[in-house]
Amino acid sequence: MEGIMIINGSPRAPKSNSKKYAELFAKYCTVPSEYFAITNKNHLELCRKMENYTHILFVFPLYVDGLPVTLMNFLKTLEEQSPKTKLQVSVLVNCGFIEPEQNNVAVKILQCFCKKQGYPFGSVLRIGSGEAILNTPLKIFAIWKIKQLATSVAKGKNRNLKTTMPLPKKIFIRASTNYWENYGKRNGITPAQMATMGIEEGSV
Amino acid sequence: MNLILSDRRIELPINNRSTEFIDLSGLQISNCIGCFGCWTKTPGKCVIRDDAVKVYPKIAESCKILYITKVKYGNYDTIMKTMLERSLPIQQAFIRLLNGETHHIQRAVAPKQATVIGYGNISNEEQEIFKQLVARNASNMCFEDYRVIFSHEDTLEQTVINEVTSWKE
Ligand SMILES: Cc1cc2nc3c(=O)[nH]c(=O)nc-3n(C[C@H](O)[C@H](O)[C@H](O)COP(=O)(O)O)c2cc1C
Repeated sequence: MEGIMIINGSPRAPKSNSKKYAELFAKYCTVPSEYFAITNKNHLELCRKMENYTHILFVFPLYVDGLPVTLMNFLKTLEEQSPKTKLQVSVLVNCGFIEPEQNNVAVKILQCFCKKQGYPFGSVLRIGSGEAILNTPLKIFAIWKIKQLATSVAKGKNRNLKTTMPLPKKIFIRASTNYWENYGKRNGITPAQMATMGIEEGSV
Repeated sequence: MNLILSDRRIELPINNRSTEFIDLSGLQISNCIGCFGCWTKTPGKCVIRDDAVKVYPKIAESCKILYITKVKYGNYDTIMKTMLERSLPIQQAFIRLLNGETHHIQRAVAPKQATVIGYGNISNEEQEIFKQLVARNASNMCFEDYRVIFSHEDTLEQTVINEVTSWKE
């Protein structure tokens, strides 16, 4: 049976953007899929479940230009506990900055894992402005590409896709400043407090 | 201040008051949970009060910094990567343009001369990826200048000594 195992590698999986991207993927994918989030305790369980699927889609955020530790730790377990038949691996990575190309190195890291461990590599979607895009009308750009990703994964194709908010960078910066100021405001923190140059100083 | 940040113990015959050596493997540091508390609740401070909160102020302060890390699939292995992720409080939430790309504004972070020593049995492909990764980090981690050096684990100590000795000149 064909099936896609969607694995969320965000350390805040229950509240993550990755989860929302995964839900959109599942919605538009014609092949059955099942969603899992990596926790500290379920590595072995996830490795065992892989026997039931033909594809893996790793959905994760860019962390310090690479894979988040949550996903790195899981890959290390997978290296030890790999399933007998190697599934095809695809990637949906999102980053906070507007340039989807900032995700390129993370994709290469995952491809390197696949090559070393013998997993055939499938398709990639790199999303820029991934923290914000789904909260704006510009989410149609993300949805459009997620549909394309879902089609290529279902067909076993190797496509390399990217998307972001189609805004001039200066306007993106203004919008993101607004976004973060409102985030602080909800916690009772002013923009000036957020802009402190101090590190580990005072109590806020 | 000079800082050496390592993911394992290393015997270093240095006796230099301006250089501090931190062995991350001896510290209690859990992974970043992406809560953005360090930007929007207690700006400049991580809400997880473990050993990481002693380390990132030193990273921010240092002008010369040496990272010593095992390389895995072209990424920092998890000990170093955990610390890099937990250093988010030294940046602000706010974004600016840097060389035409969007990046965060830094808090009081000194511009750095950085050296990154990646060790382990690292293939050419992994070396290439790791170099590209450090080049990306340079924009986010305030590197004015940086070098990447690769070493086998059994020659690591000597590689580190050579590097640190060259600092004194
Ligand atoms: C520790 C940490 C490091 C991050 N590093 C980067 C980065 O290097 N580049 C970037 O564009 N975004 C970076 N981000 C932003 C996330 O990629 C972005 O917020 C993403 O939408 C989070 O996705 P998630 O909700 O699925 O975890 C970082 C976020 C955190 C918490």
